[in-house]
Amino acid sequence: MTTTLTARRLTRDPVVISGVVTLLLWVVASFYSPAFASWGHIVTTLTVASFLGVIAIGQTLVIIAGGEGIDLSVGSAATLSAIVASRFMDGSNDGFLFAVLVALGSACVIGVVNGIGVLLFRVPPLVMTLGMIAVVAGFIRLYTGGRPEGSAAPLLNQLVTGDTVFGIPGVLWLWLALSVVVIWLLRRTAFGWRLYAVGANRTTAHLSGVNPSAIRFSAYVLSSLFAGVGGLLLLGYSQNVYTNLGADYMLNSVAAVVIGGTALIGGVGGYLGTIVGAILLTVLSALLRTMQIGGGEWGDAPRQILFGLVLIVVLTAYGRQRHLRA
Amino acid sequence: MNLLRGTGTQDLPGPVRSVMSVHMPALAVGLLLLVTVTASAILQPGFFSPYGLSASFATFLPLATIAAAQTIIVLGGGIDLSIGTIVTLSSAVSVVLMQGDDARLPLALAAGLATGAACGLFNGLVVAVLRLQPIVATFATSSVFGGLALLVLPSPGGQVSPILTGTYRMVLAMYVPIPAVLLVVLFLSWRMMRGTRYGQHLYAVGGNAEAAYTSAVPVSRVRVLSYTLGGMVASLAGVALLADAGAGDPTLGTELTLGSIAALVIGGTRLRGGSGGVGGALVGAVVLSLIQGLVFFAGVPTNAREFVYGCVIIAAIALAGLLTAREGSASGASGGRR
Amino acid sequence: MDSPTFLRMSGVRKRYGGVTALDGADFEADSGTVHAVLGPNGSGKSTLLKVLTGVVGPDAGQVRLDGAPLRPRGPRDTLTAGISSVYQELSLVEDFTVLDNLVLGVEPSRFGLRDRRAALARSLPWLERFAPAFGGRVPVRERVSDLDPGERQVVEVCKALVRDPRVLVLDEATASLRRGQVEVLFEVVDELRARGVLILFITHRLAEIYAVCDRATVMRNGTDVATVAVAGTPEAELLELMSGRPSAAPSGTRGPGTPAVETPTEGPATAPDATAAKDQDTDPATSPRLEVRDLTGDRLHGVSLKVRAGEVLGLGGLQGQGQSELMAALFGAARRTGGTVLLDGTPVRARSPKQAVRAGFCYVPGNRGTQGLALGRPILENLALPSVGRRAFLGVGLSRRREVAAARAVAERVNTRYGSLNDPVSTLSGGNQQKIVVGKWFPTEPAVVLMDDPAKGIDVGAKAEMFDVVAELAASGAAVIVGSSDDRELVEVCDRVLVMFEGRVVDEVSGDRLTEDTLIASAMHVTGADVAAAREGHTSELPDPEPRHAEEGGA
Repeated sequence: MTTTLTARRLTRDPVVISGVVTLLLWVVASFYSPAFASWGHIVTTLTVASFLGVIAIGQTLVIIAGGEGIDLSVGSAATLSAIVASRFMDGSNDGFLFAVLVALGSACVIGVVNGIGVLLFRVPPLVMTLGMIAVVAGFIRLYTGGRPEGSAAPLLNQLVTGDTVFGIPGVLWLWLALSVVVIWLLRRTAFGWRLYAVGANRTTAHLSGVNPSAIRFSAYVLSSLFAGVGGLLLLGYSQNVYTNLGADYMLNSVAAVVIGGTALIGGVGGYLGTIVGAILLTVLSALLRTMQIGGGEWGDAPRQILFGLVLIVVLTAYGRQRHLRA
Repeated sequence: MNLLRGTGTQDLPGPVRSVMSVHMPALAVGLLLLVTVTASAILQPGFFSPYGLSASFATFLPLATIAAAQTIIVLGGGIDLSIGTIVTLSSAVSVVLMQGDDARLPLALAAGLATGAACGLFNGLVVAVLRLQPIVATFATSSVFGGLALLVLPSPGGQVSPILTGTYRMVLAMYVPIPAVLLVVLFLSWRMMRGTRYGQHLYAVGGNAEAAYTSAVPVSRVRVLSYTLGGMVASLAGVALLADAGAGDPTLGTELTLGSIAALVIGGTRLRGGSGGVGGALVGAVVLSLIQGLVFFAGVPTNAREFVYGCVIIAAIALAGLLTAREGSASGASGGRR
Repeated sequence: MDSPTFLRMSGVRKRYGGVTALDGADFEADSGTVHAVLGPNGSGKSTLLKVLTGVVGPDAGQVRLDGAPLRPRGPRDTLTAGISSVYQELSLVEDFTVLDNLVLGVEPSRFGLRDRRAALARSLPWLERFAPAFGGRVPVRERVSDLDPGERQVVEVCKALVRDPRVLVLDEATASLRRGQVEVLFEVVDELRARGVLILFITHRLAEIYAVCDRATVMRNGTDVATVAVAGTPEAELLELMSGRPSAAPSGTRGPGTPAVETPTEGPATAPDATAAKDQDTDPATSPRLEVRDLTGDRLHGVSLKVRAGEVLGLGGLQGQGQSELMAALFGAARRTGGTVLLDGTPVRARSPKQAVRAGFCYVPGNRGTQGLALGRPILENLALPSVGRRAFLGVGLSRRREVAAARAVAERVNTRYGSLNDPVSTLSGGNQQKIVVGKWFPTEPAVVLMDDPAKGIDVGAKAEMFDVVAELAASGAAVIVGSSDDRELVEVCDRVLVMFEGRVVDEVSGDRLTEDTLIASAMHVTGADVAAAREGHTSELPDPEPRHAEEGGA
């Protein structure tokens, strides 16, 4: 009885579904191109996923905090942090820590402005963070004159791509560490419990002595902070920056969070799901690339189409809204 | 009577409060329009000349039309992040069929319209029947539509029929450019639709879907139709873009989506649905376009333009938000009470 | 009544996940009657009626209306069948005007456009009929969001009536109505019955059943237990049928059938001198735990009161006279424009609930679903929420074991029945949910307990347990303030009741005077002679099936 119940619960658990889908995609990819199954390829895929995963940390927090919470400016925060860092580092290890702090600080400013706009001026989060994209893009142009300068400190590059054991680059360990911290934050801290409560029912949280505004504000700042960290990792990985470095992460981070079972209504989900979601998205686009769908005369188009369709199918498996009729 | 009334509950009589809350957003966006128009008239030479008006309205119309499309969807409680790609896909289909030939214009327009409607229908089915969350679902479909657009028209180009571009530039009675007429037609069609039962149901579904359902409003059908209509109107924006630019461009998707959402929010439509209207969104789009022009004409250094533009937009949105925000402001006990 | 049965539901089953809501329920009712559906929370009565109205699709079973089978796939089908219902959770669009709400889904139209005039013609008669319930006005163009909860409920009733139903379902429709509004509603119900409409009536207030209903079907555990003629059935028997227990007094309450038992709740602090406090008679022995002087704010016009430790103070009067606002203001959840609040003689100025909680206040809000609980979250987190910071290591880290232990202890104290602490709190029954709302405050060891209608919408047994919890809180030395729309509850649970009217305290009732009659009289500001008439709607043992209604609509 209990085992069937648990089994049923498992088959409905978004994290499990996403995990299974990811494995399926990976098996298909391995059949298609055996190289996919190689250790090196797995590590590369995970490395690519780690950037999305780290940037989506904050997205997870903001979405859990509810109130239509969403942060579309994570990509911009990542870009800004990378651009600032590269300029301060300028290819040298001198003042490394300072550069990192300045970069993360500038990313946090975005979160602070988002928080003020959403909480004080009551701008819907979607619109506020959309608008911030334009502002940050404008600022980057002003700051760089359109041509970002500098490059990553060798130390950062070392941290991110440096080989540790079994060819695992440093960035994966960093991702692992951050994941542990975030999951702990959500499950075993007063902040985490309050965050869920605020997301599930803000009035209840307020009337239970929680300050919902403070919680939501923290979520937005943390979101930009983690996006900034993601930007630094991207910088360390690619060593150079360009002005739309983080643009792709805007909606992909939302997709990763939702695939991981965190509903946009807030108050449900967790970061474990987001990890799986990030890996799923990465494996999917790697698979489409390996299958060489697109390329040649068709360009990028078929891959985009398939990516969208698969995403819909995956989301249909769960993540659906309640039916109006019970 | 007084005894039962529970007096002292409302400082203002109900009707007065209702009127105020309904007209507040309109007031806000009207004010913005006044400010931007005045500033444009001062800073922009020849703003009120026939040529200036024609040029202005030619740039207003595409954004205004997309904003109208997005508003129809948002009013019904949805959102469409794929709307920009619907515009590009439908315009790509049109321009490829048009081949710069006036004779093929009707066919091309019909095909573009059908494409838009089909995309919208697809979105609607995904959201209303599969019940996916609109933000993510339309993100996924935007990938599909964007890909299709690239298939149809791999790179910017194509030949728009001369009649289309010619008509678009025409100015009637000295001061009335065709795009302005189209803008008015768009608004009147909206008012017409608002007057139907469907218009009412759209607001009901966006305002409170469960209440609408228990009141025998066909909620799913209303939603699907709102996305379909939105897609269709979006394809009209595609036509306007073609007419304005003279060629197709498969890459402008996302920017249009963002603009449409900003315009409707400035226009006083509630992003959660059920409140607002296309009229406000049209004005919001005009304001947005004017601000863009203003930043250019105000002599802002090139590199700072985007930044200033972004900041002004945020400020406008915040202003609109402040004036529109009615609910959610009361915190605590009274706030949670329905 | 020998005509073929008008409405017949047979073998209706419905399961929600693992929970059986309806287990083969049968139900019959005749047209031209008012038929009550009774049962404790979770007995399936709401689900049964939702099957009838098409909101819920049954797993099995048949419904026949007027001889024809009814298989509604949604509210649209039931609408055409002539079934309208007034829901507990309102089905109104707040942004719409009253008129637009009334015709929502049935908008008359001409040439494809909505016909406002026709809509008005259909709606106006009903709004005018209910004008006394709107304080004499006819709010056609007012937006629903500007109406108070009682008025919204009346709009909801009008909305059902505009659909011209053959079957009208009133599901807890009177819960948020004021006395005068209930009277208008009952008059209309009488008229509808005379026109041959079947009215199905769900309520927790037994008195209302005796006031309007002809027959009653009692439900328990998802099936129908019995159908009786209301007139010939004493209250005790109905309660027995509902609870399934031979005694009408579940778990230590006084029989609810005998009101006005002025035994205050047990507890050491129930000092014998509680009666003497007619005016601000400060007792030298015990200084007040909580003192409020001239508090003003939204809907509050200078409220002063004192509560001693261990005392239960009631807030009575008509609904919506500032009782809820007073509690919200004390808790920092509503605006306070003036006045002083003293806790143990020290002034407290809480600007937010957070500060109030820190100062030792706790608050049980009037709506547990939207204000008291995070429904989708586990029981554990709901119980921990107000006190989670206190147990956290350095204010941050939590120990799961410690949290579970704390939650278990609370759940035991308030006698909550649950499967696992990790289950969402929404899986609990209404009564158990309410216990969570109250219980979550135990670890904060509150000095002042504010409870807004703590027994609203929970069944008799849970109600009694809730009152035990109130007594326990008082016994622990807290000053307890309880607001309630049910005078009987106040008499049962309070040591002293302040009657509020238009944001002021207008009377204080305690000791021997603390009876339902006095409270009603005081609330209505009427003389003793009118009390009998006013009680009409509340009478428990009305013999005839056609109750007379008091003339006064709201004198």
